[in-house]
Amino acid sequence: MQSLLRNVCRAGNRGAAARLLEFAAPVATQPPSSAIKHLRPCGFTPPTGLDQFLCVQNRFISRDGVPASSGFCAKVLMTRGLSTVGTAEVAEDEDDSSSPAVEHPPRIKFKRPDKTARHIMNILNKEAVEKVRTEREIPDVQPGCIIQMRLQVPENKRRESTLKGIVIARRNAGINTTFRLRRLVAGVGVESVFPLYSPNIKEMKILDRKKVRRAKLYYLRDRMNALKK
Amino acid sequence: MGSVGNNLYGGINSSAETVTRPSHCDAISQQIRTFIQMRTNLKVVDNSGAKRVMCIQSLRGKKGARLGDMIIGSVKEAQPRGKVKKGDVVYGVVVRAAMKKGRSDGSEVQFDDNAIVIVNNKGELIGTRVFGPVPHELRKKKHLKILALAEHIV
Repeated sequence: MQSLLRNVCRAGNRGAAARLLEFAAPVATQPPSSAIKHLRPCGFTPPTGLDQFLCVQNRFISRDGVPASSGFCAKVLMTRGLSTVGTAEVAEDEDDSSSPAVEHPPRIKFKRPDKTARHIMNILNKEAVEKVRTEREIPDVQPGCIIQMRLQVPENKRRESTLKGIVIARRNAGINTTFRLRRLVAGVGVESVFPLYSPNIKEMKILDRKKVRRAKLYYLRDRMNALKK
Repeated sequence: MGSVGNNLYGGINSSAETVTRPSHCDAISQQIRTFIQMRTNLKVVDNSGAKRVMCIQSLRGKKGARLGDMIIGSVKEAQPRGKVKKGDVVYGVVVRAAMKKGRSDGSEVQFDDNAIVIVNNKGELIGTRVFGPVPHELRKKKHLKILALAEHIV
């Protein structure tokens, strides 16, 4: 198993499939030092300079033995992980001077951030939220706030309508954070769900903040108070 | 009712109207509002004379009618002197639905009750006034007369 992995790594380095067949035999024709050299994190040169930088970052992180924090190292780390499996016991101190791309760090087993796709999505979400927050002033709406907002509906009417109601629920989901507004319109209760960071919301103002002991105020549906709720 | 109520497409669950329930079972009685289908009672919000109509057929959708769709109903309760009497089979346009309707900008809207306006089979209003709020969706369905007579457009 270990030798097979070494072969895979080596084949990746050289790009020669023929070598793989050669090393199917248990006897390794190459001297052990170079074999160990090629055990390095698959030293294939990353295509862009950015990845090179990331490899360097990798080096720093693995040297400290601290699990990588940045999600962008994920791709490199995962490929690194492929080669580190089964070769943990190899302790290397000599640096591979023949590798053209980056200086290979000493091989220490480290943790990589699991579920890295989720990590990247979190970062994307945060960036999108930050972008909207810098453009518009969005107050902190919590359940129990009485809100007045100006909304521009695209549905065939470009007029701005003013809505006033109480927030009865709030759902946090990054850029898709929504809140539920309940209001009395011409004697009939209407509940609307709006995305908090929607560009249609032109202005939002908190009029009052009621003390509630709940996150979702669905009990208000039964208690239709006659006053502005 | 809790677990059954979670089934959004259950034919058994007609659109529930607001019922005052005892507070101890509030956690279970999350009312999932569904389509307007056969046997659904709806309120009539114009001055055509009818007060309550029971849906006997939804003219759009296999599962039932939503906001802005047309239905066929039977008048169950009517005012003494009106244009329609009890037992008449009438067409109606749903102007308020307890089931939420999504809009193109990502928002959703839902009302507290189900209400219709009585029309003839061509889509023209029988009554002359409409009470209560109506949603924007009627504009797309070309019910402009209803929008014109409405008190408030949501």
